[in-house]
Amino acid sequence: MDPQPEPVYYICGDCGMEIPLKPNDVIQCRECGYRILYKKRTRRIVQYEAR
Amino acid sequence: MDSLLYLLVYPQRPLLTTKTIELVGYDKLGAGQNATVAVMSYSGYDIEDAIVMNKASLDRGFGRCIHMKRYCAVNQKYDNNTQDRILRPNRDGTDSGPMRVLDDDGLAAPGEIIRRNDILINKQVPVVTRGQFKSALNDSEFKSVPQRYDGPQGESCVVDKVALCSDKHNNLCFKFLIRHTRRPEVGDKFSSRHGQKGVCGTIVQQEDFPFSERGICPDLIMNPHGFPSRMTVGKMIELLGGKAGVSCGRFHYGSAFGEPGGHADKVEAISETLVRMGFSYDGKDFIYSGITGCPLQAYIFMGPIYYQKLKHMVLDKMHARGSGPRVSLTRQPTEGKARNGGLRVGEMERDCLIAYGASMLLYERLMISSDPFEVQVCRVCGLLGYYNHKLKTGICSSCKNGDNISTMKLPYACKLLIQELQSMNIVPRLKLAEA
Repeated sequence: MDPQPEPVYYICGDCGMEIPLKPNDVIQCRECGYRILYKKRTRRIVQYEAR
Repeated sequence: MDSLLYLLVYPQRPLLTTKTIELVGYDKLGAGQNATVAVMSYSGYDIEDAIVMNKASLDRGFGRCIHMKRYCAVNQKYDNNTQDRILRPNRDGTDSGPMRVLDDDGLAAPGEIIRRNDILINKQVPVVTRGQFKSALNDSEFKSVPQRYDGPQGESCVVDKVALCSDKHNNLCFKFLIRHTRRPEVGDKFSSRHGQKGVCGTIVQQEDFPFSERGICPDLIMNPHGFPSRMTVGKMIELLGGKAGVSCGRFHYGSAFGEPGGHADKVEAISETLVRMGFSYDGKDFIYSGITGCPLQAYIFMGPIYYQKLKHMVLDKMHARGSGPRVSLTRQPTEGKARNGGLRVGEMERDCLIAYGASMLLYERLMISSDPFEVQVCRVCGLLGYYNHKLKTGICSSCKNGDNISTMKLPYACKLLIQELQSMNIVPRLKLAEA
């Protein structure tokens, strides 16, 4: 693992704040203390097929 | 997060309701779609309640549904102060392979298209999880156990949502919601609100579908044999009421109670509306065959009926196996789709094969493809011996010699039975006819 892991941003399930987390951080919103976080949508371009 | 969720893509409000449905708000919760149904027989793929569906209707979104399933993963903590770890994937330039959907944190990202055997989470587990306390572990003390997506083969699904939370043991817990949009296929199950369920028997091009003089083409064709024995008069009234409702622009009531002062629309009143809108009073239409272009011999009972898609879909059920896992006790193939099991030739199927006299087929199904096993049999005492790999001969352990040993094949389950009987003080002996 690289020495300086880049933080990944998550979204709080309650207040909607963006929270940067590093590995082994506690899963908790820093603003409201809510303990469920959602991952942000991928930044990659995706193409869906509508059949 | 729900573990399993089925959603209809384009829900509609039923054209024909009852007062009760309105009171409980059931028409606010779209559970189906108003399909134009022609009650006639067509193509022979509509026997036993099967329905023939219009391909163009399916293209326009009829019966399309979303199937969402939750997959869980935990970052487990162990007694010896170690815990699992999640690594960021090593992307060496190539944007392909099973690590494709992973983000920098080693988790699949929402919005990403995912296929079978793609990795959802790049997890590593410590090799030693018990005993003495350990502090920092190095890379060699971890083994890689990525969790793969085990969805349907050849289908592409989408990661809908990824949630991070902690479970009751305070472990970090990941939940993935995987979304799959499905269009109806042959074998999917549909039902009207009268319990008239049926599977899709075939999907036919709209060009081959029958059509009326106004150019109305049904979404599905239902076999009339479903009516006499089920006596679902309500479905016929729904068809009439729906047809009148769609042509005059008013939602009709289809309750069975047409008493004076009640609010149900009686068939008589519906028929009058139909006549006013230029239809026949009995709901039957003059129909042309889509294949020949000629008018059909009979007038066809056609109109809208509210149809629901049921959750039994072939994609979740179809299963086949060539070779695969076996049960360790009997060495026979496992059972069930989840365990990639075999299809059993049961007792009754066996009876058929015996009656037909297909002995070689029986031999293959019951032994070769199941649990063949080579045993050493003593021709003198009829007991099972063993093979001595040093002397390269079979030896009978009760006669204490290897003089009269024959090698033969029998099902492992049979050898197991013999040994279990021996353990109960019953001695089965094998008498070999040709040795």
